[in-house]
Parts: sequence; C-alpha cells; structure tokens
Amino acid sequence: MEVKCRLNGENIVLQGEPTVRLREVLYHTGCYSVRDSDDAEGFAGSDTIIFNGELKYANFIMLYQAEGAEIKTAESLLVNGELNYVQKAMVAAGIVQSAYNAPAAALILTWLLEKHPNPTRQQVKNVMTSIFIRDAGYEHYYLAVKLACELRDFGEFKTEIAPSFRPQLDIIGKPAGKIDGAALVSGEPVFVEDKVPANSWCLHVLRSPFASAYIKSIDTSEAEKLDGVAAIITAFNCPDVYYMQAGQGTPEPSPHDRRLFNRKVRHVGDRVAGIVARTLEIADKAASLIKVEYEPTDAVFTVEEAMAEGAPLVHNGPVQYNAGAPEDLEEYNKLQGDPREGKVVYQFPLHADIHKNIAASNKGGIGDMEKGFAEADAIVEATYQTSQIQHTPLEPHVCYAHVESGRLVLNCATQVPYHVRRIVSWVCGIPENKIHVIKERVGGGYGSKQDILVEELTGYAAWITKKPVYYRNTRAEEFYANSTRHPMRVHVKMGGKKDGTITALFMEVCANTGPYGNHCLTVPMNSCSKTMPLFKVDNMAYDLKVYYTNTPPAGAYQGYGTPKGTYGIMMAMAELADKLGIDYRTMVEKNHVEEGYMLEILKGLGEGREGAVVPVGSCGLDEAIKQGCDMIDWGKKEVSEDPDWKIGKGFAMIMQGSGLPGLDHAEAIAKLETDGTVILNSGGADLGTGLDTISAKIVAEVLKLPMERITVVSGDTDSCAFDTGAYASSGTFFSGNASLVATTKLKELILKEAALQMEEKVENLDVRAPGEVYSKASGATLSYYDLVHTATSGMGRGQMVAHGSFVTNASSVPYGAHFAQVAVNVKTGEIKVQKFYALQDAGTPINPEIALCQMYGAVMKSIGHSLYEDMKLDKNGKCINANLTDYGAPMIDEAPEDFKSVLIDVDDKFGPYGAKSISEIACNGAAPAIGIAIHDACGVWLRSWPMTPEKVLKALGKI
Amino acid sequence: MIYHPKTPLEAVMLRKEHADTAVYLAGGTDDLRLNGSAQGKDLIDINGLGFDDIFARDGKLYIGARCTLNQIIESELVPAFIKEAAHFCASFVKRNSATVGGNIGLRRQDSYLAAALTAADAVLKSITPHGEEMKPIGEYLQSDCKRLIEYVVLPAKRTGWVKRFTNTTSSHAAVTAAASEGIYALSVSGSGFAYGTDPDLADTMEFTDDISGSAEYKKYLAKIVFTLGR
Repeated sequence: MEVKCRLNGENIVLQGEPTVRLREVLYHTGCYSVRDSDDAEGFAGSDTIIFNGELKYANFIMLYQAEGAEIKTAESLLVNGELNYVQKAMVAAGIVQSAYNAPAAALILTWLLEKHPNPTRQQVKNVMTSIFIRDAGYEHYYLAVKLACELRDFGEFKTEIAPSFRPQLDIIGKPAGKIDGAALVSGEPVFVEDKVPANSWCLHVLRSPFASAYIKSIDTSEAEKLDGVAAIITAFNCPDVYYMQAGQGTPEPSPHDRRLFNRKVRHVGDRVAGIVARTLEIADKAASLIKVEYEPTDAVFTVEEAMAEGAPLVHNGPVQYNAGAPEDLEEYNKLQGDPREGKVVYQFPLHADIHKNIAASNKGGIGDMEKGFAEADAIVEATYQTSQIQHTPLEPHVCYAHVESGRLVLNCATQVPYHVRRIVSWVCGIPENKIHVIKERVGGGYGSKQDILVEELTGYAAWITKKPVYYRNTRAEEFYANSTRHPMRVHVKMGGKKDGTITALFMEVCANTGPYGNHCLTVPMNSCSKTMPLFKVDNMAYDLKVYYTNTPPAGAYQGYGTPKGTYGIMMAMAELADKLGIDYRTMVEKNHVEEGYMLEILKGLGEGREGAVVPVGSCGLDEAIKQGCDMIDWGKKEVSEDPDWKIGKGFAMIMQGSGLPGLDHAEAIAKLETDGTVILNSGGADLGTGLDTISAKIVAEVLKLPMERITVVSGDTDSCAFDTGAYASSGTFFSGNASLVATTKLKELILKEAALQMEEKVENLDVRAPGEVYSKASGATLSYYDLVHTATSGMGRGQMVAHGSFVTNASSVPYGAHFAQVAVNVKTGEIKVQKFYALQDAGTPINPEIALCQMYGAVMKSIGHSLYEDMKLDKNGKCINANLTDYGAPMIDEAPEDFKSVLIDVDDKFGPYGAKSISEIACNGAAPAIGIAIHDACGVWLRSWPMTPEKVLKALGKI
Repeated sequence: MIYHPKTPLEAVMLRKEHADTAVYLAGGTDDLRLNGSAQGKDLIDINGLGFDDIFARDGKLYIGARCTLNQIIESELVPAFIKEAAHFCASFVKRNSATVGGNIGLRRQDSYLAAALTAADAVLKSITPHGEEMKPIGEYLQSDCKRLIEYVVLPAKRTGWVKRFTNTTSSHAAVTAAASEGIYALSVSGSGFAYGTDPDLADTMEFTDDISGSAEYKKYLAKIVFTLGR
C-alpha cells in the first residue's frame, strides 16, 4: 500500500505491506537512526520517533497507521547539516560511545527540551526511562541536558564537563569530544547493517532443541528444492576444520573443539544447519522442511554436575596437541567415545582432562599455606557463586560478507579484525590476502565481539555461494547462541591476625565454560591474576578448574574473570574483618600493595605461560581508598526514618591490566598527506570507546596539528597493519602506544626532510602549531603543506610515511576502589543502591569525559550483574528469559540516586603520555561493594549473584 | 487482516464473529510486541472509536479505555495511587502508546493497573453484543468475556495505595497489591488474581515458581504486603 505522510518536514509516500512495522519502512527510506535492538520488544528504545508530536516506538506502529501522520526521526535534528545543540552537548558530555541508539536519545532529549526548556533531573529521568544505555551509563545524560541548555542560552558550555589533566600538554587529558561523535549521534549509516545492499541474501541458522545430542541424519532435500535457497550447510558438508571462536593471539590458550557444524550438538541453540536464502521468509520455510534425526544424550549444566563421578561427557573424542603433548596421550585417547564427538585440539597443554569434563586447569602459589593459616587468629572459608550473564550490546552480532574480485570481503562489528581474518581464512581454506575485513562502527561489544561468533559462518556462506550474505542474530539468539560471562564458583579461604594482617589466602575457582572452550583458561585465570596481586600477602595459592557443560556458551566479557574473583576475595576479607572484630577499612589498608612491591604471585598467573614477576608500578589505590572513604563518610552509620529500611556501606579495591604484556601487539602507520594533513592507519579496533580519538589526539599532540586535520582509519585489514585487537583493556595502552611510535617516527621524518629543504640542522628544528616546522636557530618556518608538496613534487624524496609497532613486557595496571551505600528492606528484601562512588586511577585519562562515562557504564553493567541480571535455564538447558525485559537489564531507574565517578591523578611510566586502561576495571567493584554494604545494613552475607530480594529474605530467615 | 469498525458495536460483533482469530488493536504495546498477543491474529483496529478522555461526573471518574498511561499520569482528576500504578509501566515512550483498556483487557497477571483499579472498586462500562453493560473490574478479570471496554468508572475521590514487586522496574511483576478503602486486590505471577474485603488473600491462592521468583517468595510477599502500610 501507499501511505502519504510528512517525514522530517517533507511530504512523502511510504510504500509497503499495511502491517509492516513503520520502523522497517523508515529505515529503508533512509532514516538510519531508527534502529532495532530488541526485535520489537519495546525495551531498548532504539526505534524511537516523534509521531504526531509524541514520542513513540516505531516498532509498535504499522505502516497503515501512518497515513496522514507527521513523523520526525533523528535525521530531522540536523540544522543546516550541523548537529543541533542537544547532539553537540551529548558529544561533549562523552555519552556518544558505541552509540547505536544515541540518535534516538538525542531525539528524546530534544523533544523534552522543546516541552520543558529547563527540565528538572526528574523530568530528564522520566523520558530516559524509554531507552536502554549499556555503554556510557545514564549519569552524563543529565550533564548533557545541562550543557545543551547552556549552549542554547549562552552559545557555549559553562559547566566543567570533566577535569583536565597534564597542563603541559595541549590536547591529551582534556575533554575535546569524540572524533566520530557527530557521525554517530546524527544517525549516519556507519554500522554493518547500513552497508547491506537490498539484493543481499540472508543467512538463517537452524538450532538445536537439545542440550546434548548426536545428529544421526539431516535430510535437506525438500528445503533445497525451494526457490531462493542457495545453500544449506550442515555437519555433513562443512569443512572438516577445527577451530575456536575466541579472538585471541595465536597460538590460542583455548582448545580448537568445534567445526562450523558438528555431529554432536552441545547446547540448546547450537548450530544444526545454515541456510542461505534470498529472504528470511524463504529461509524460515526451508528450516521447517529440514528433517533432523537426533539421538539425545544426557547433559550437564553446572560445574557440580560436570565434576560428578560418571558425569556425561561434553567432549569425548580424541585429544590432540600442537605442542607439548603429554607422553601418555596415546593411552589417554583409547578412552575416546563415539566418532561423532569430533576432536579437541590444544595448541599447548592447558592441564585439561576432557574425560572429567575439565577444559583447562591451573594451580600454583607462593609461600607456605600451612604455616600461613597456622599463624592466623581467625580463618574464614566461604564459597561465592556467580551466574550466567549476557553482554546485551544494543547492536546484536551481525556480519555482511560478499565476494569481490576473487576476494572475500567482510563488514564486521568486531573487536578483533585480524583474528576474524585469520579464523575465516582457516575455515574457508583461503589465504589471508584473499580476505578483507572492514571493522565498521561497533554498536556495543563488551567482550562479546572479541569472539568470532558469526563472521566465520557468514564468510563461508558467501564464499561458497558467491552471493552477498547478511547475518544478524535475533535478540533471543544473543542469549542462547552467543557468548556469555562464565558462571563461576569461587571458594576463598583467608586467615588473618587480630591486627588485620592477612597471613594466608587461598582461592579455589571452578568455572563453567559451557560447551566450547573459548577463553576457558584466560577468563577464569583473571579471577586470580587480577585479584591476588592486590594483596601484600606472603602465602597465597590458587587452584582453578574449568568445566565443559551444556549451557549456552561462555566467552570473553568486559573484566574477564576479575569481577567474580573480586567478589569472592573482597567479600571474604570483609567476612574475616567481621570475624576478627576490626574495621574493614583498616584491614584493606593494612594488606594492599603499593608502588614497588614485588608481585611474586604473578609467576604462575600467566595466560597459559609463565608470568613475569614485576613490581607494582604507578598505583592510585591508596588515594582512591582515602578519597572514597571521605566521600561516603566511612564509619558513620546512616539510619533510615523507616525502620524497615536498613542502610549499610561497603567498598572494594580493584585492579585490572592494560593489555597483555608479552602477548599483545599493535601497529600503526602515519602518513603526511600531500596537503600537510595526516592520516593515521591504526590496527586498533575502536568499539565505541574513543580509541580512534586517542590516536588522533596523540597525532595532534606530537605534530601540533589541529584535530580537524587528522583522520584515523582503523580496523581495516587491507589498509592498516596488524593489531591483536581491542580486548584485555589493551586499546589505549597498546594501540595508543603504536600510534605514538608511528607519529613520533613521522615527526622525525618531517624534521629530517625539513632540515634538507630548509638547509638547517635537524637538532635546531622542531614542530609547532598549527602544523609547521620552525628553526630555533634562524626563526625560519616551513609549513607541513609546503614541506610535503616539495617532497612529492617529482624532484622530492617522497611522501613521509612512518610505521610504528608496539610490544612490551611492561605492565601498567590501573587500580581503584568502588564504594556503595545501600538500603535494604528487611521485610520485603528489596535493595536500593543509594550511593555509588567509583574512584579509579587510569594514569593520564586521554579523553577524560569519555573515561568517566565508561566508568559509569561499566558500573551500571556490574550493578545489573550484582542485583538483577541472570540467564535462567530450564531443566533441559533452554534459556527461558531470552529477552531484555525478563533477563533484567538495568535501566535508568536502577541507577544509584547519588552516582559519581572520580579519576585519581596518577602518571604512568609506560602508557602513552602516562595513560592506562579505564573501562574493564570498572566492572569489578560493584558486586563486593554492594554485598559488603548489604551485610553492613542487615547482617547477612549474600554469597551469590544476583543478590536478589528473595535471597535477602532467605538469608534473614523470612522464607 | 485488519478490520476498521466504525462503531464500538461493530467492533464487538467482529470480535464475536472472529473469536479465535482476531484481537482488538489499540496502542499496540502488547499486541505488536515481540511474541505479542496479535501474533498470527487478525486485528480489529479500535483507534477511531473515541473513549480516549478522562472526566468526572456525578461523583464518578470516567477513564476512557483508549487513554494512554501517560494521560492517566498527567490528569489532575485521577487518584494518586492509580497514577502510581500507571507508572509501573516504566518506559515513558511506551506509556505514550499503552492504553488503559489494553492493559486490563489482556488480563495479564503482571498488569500495571488491574490491582489498583480493582481495589478502587472500579466498574467497566463496556459494549457487548447485547448492548452497553456495567461490570465490576474484578469480575471481568476473572472471566474471559470479550466485551469492548469503553470506560473505567470509579469513585472520583478514591484513596488507596499500590505496591509492586519486580526484579527491575521494567521487569514483569512477581506480586502487585493494592488496597483502597477496605478493598484489597492482589495479582501474583503464575497464580492469578484475587480481591476482597479481607486482606488475607494469599490464603486463597496457589503459588508456583517462575522467572519472577519462587512460590515461597511470592507467597511470603502476598502474605505480608497488606501489613506494610503506607
């Protein structure tokens, strides 16, 4: 049908079936801002439009209902092609990060300011209930509204957006906006889905209804007869290539334990068949015609079930090692079961035993544990359980692949373009030079896009069919067919003296990696390697085992295993302080490390290799604890007017890393273009966190160029040089340092060339704003424009291009402390987070406003994990809350009433301009801080995530 | 198939005629949502039929079934606890579309409004194939009649309170309770709906485990909620 309406001030005729959702029509009309994060669940708000003057979700409007309507989308906000005042304020406030629904948020706030020119905090909160923000939290949305009002009324921002650092530097450490902010907030077509042509084919995956079953047979003959079906890929015709989906440096510390499709399905939602069809409707029909004969087998869902004697085995095929095979491997492999199990290939030993469902294990320690516990006046021993958590990026996992000039081109939303290329190369059996991976803007990753979950299948489908193929997870698939946070059982035994000195610390970690071993060692290892080094304790040991089960898969998630280890270890310390009868703060301050302390414990805590023993470097931990205690008034008991509500306080010290020293690797190429501008090709993958802005700021700082004369091209495997990717908090430290190395080299080339052109000595020359070389000896100047023009004029020495590579064994560890004040209703079990203060040492925060928002966003995720979020499986392993509403994703109503992020000023020796990482660490503190506060409030220790009202009531003996 | 009835009676007759295959469409937040009630169904679009106003007459408050939850919140006539119940739909934008009639008509156990309106002793002014009828909301909620609600009618100056227990503010409720001038109403996920003049409503219900909580948790809440006071 045809529908006449006004769209963004223009009379227009929209076409489509009467019942097609307006969102879809608007998107395909070119309104890219009207996105869909929840498959019309009405939760995320990415589809918000103004419909006849009111804010509405476009997914809840059918095309026929738009007849005669006045419709505005975020595309209407631009003023003469420029951002409007709200959009400018949002970019300035640092909230435009992964930004999948930033345009919708801008539309909502603009609507609000038209209705209420000076809205209250409550009015801002009221409209922001409509939109799910996962990356930047909600706090700076209030700031953005304030800034918008100032820009509107005074033509400039009056309020300080974020603190500035390093006065001696021009742009590093100053809030300056994000270089891709305008494109993102205005709704430009910058995501993968925007690159998909109308003639593309779609990929649909038929998934297993069983948690564990052999596939006896698959009959695809009827499905293949359908018009519009190009290929059906199954375990019977896919490449016999074993790989893993973790995006890690090779050789990976994860077993290669899967193919594209396996003869044994290992979780509800596991791949059974991939259908390439002209439309999703045809693919659905084809899926219904595929006859699969399953042979169900027993399954295990918890580590307790997996470790039980005689437990069903998730993998029971032959084991291979590419290095370091044990001598008894041949004997071990005599135990293998059904040939349909497939095999498990370790790149090097991870101390696994698949016949006990152990995917990996590790143990070690320092000192004398027996002596340490013998010296203790009190010992606590407790087990802390964490649940299965989903990342819920606003943009689900997507990939578009096509073949062009004999090469496979993939448009990806990935944190690891080069790992994508490598794994697609393996699976498709084509060399890497025949593959071009283009990382588009990423609408939220949080670790889930470190894994190659859809790219290898989409790429293979395009390669064999030679058709353009698009794949997009449904929101439900994001839950049951994606990666998740590893559920873990963290057992802590801690002994201490009456004065608070910890004499011994033991952690036993049992992690659930699900059916495949993505990150099976590295994530759980972080629960020890990013917690124990916080302690000055002579006797420490850990014992870690990771189990295969038949739950939905686990993988990388922001923080890796650290949030879970931190939850256990900090709660245990608080329990020990309680048992010893001393103040928890005293105990923390007595036992935490400080700069220079030699971290012997790190020796055994490498990622499958021996770790390096290094001293603690720059460390703002003590300052974070002091400031935080002052802010929250530590030691003062708050009392509610309502006797049912009890108030308590807690805090946790936290640490993370800045990439993986000795493993990570980053490169960049800096080019002085022919007009004196600079293009930096960074191998780094900006996933919305501002990494490209960091690179641009580094170029600006080194070469004294205005930001608008710098372009950063990143994550493109054709034009950029290798980078391991954006994970393990490596972006700023590794990719940023690579940009610094490349730009510093470019500066050297510039000065060398200028010396020749100016006939001066190099040592007399330097660069200065706005992009010129000057002589300290003669006062002569040469603009970059003239310099490069001469160099490329036909008689010159050529364009100045510098390549930078960065590797290191140095470790720049961010530290911090997170504080919570909660109120607990002892009658109903309800928990309110009244205050949350996140204090972190990020070295030099290169983008301070973006850094603050990443802290807010990570804390909000962690509050969600601590209190609300939980993937629930039924007895057959099916996820029964595979949507955002039932899963418990936190919205603005769940944000603390008083929420502050504070950057502790510490300069670091190794980071670019002293920078360390910022966001992952911010996931680590909420659970223990809240858990300790709950105990302070009502006297119960909640030892499992999420800490729900029901668990409070049970702990209080009410139910 | 989408039907566009010209009158409420025509809408009701269509609903009767297509009892198993058609649903009313108003705001669309339940019908059109993922796995919503309109999936695979024909739609009877009632958006052109009026009853989208709120007014007081003869000591009674009339809330049009097609009023949105935000209209309730913004109205100066609506009692505070009914407004609070409308706020249980956490999303402002969703409240711009979600209607009173839709929320009641679906008879969801996590309804935002059902408990509050029942405790308020509300009556539904509705159209049936036999003409216009008044029916107490509590009775309506425990039946499966397919009448078309025009107005919710309640005493104009009603006072009361409402309480909802959920995981997050956006989650479906485990327990929703309301009390108003001696009437108590309780909606429990997995159990259903109860109301009366005795607050011991929990004793009349069976409780089950579901994603909103265990049976014992919901039973506990149902037992203590009316002792909490306001």
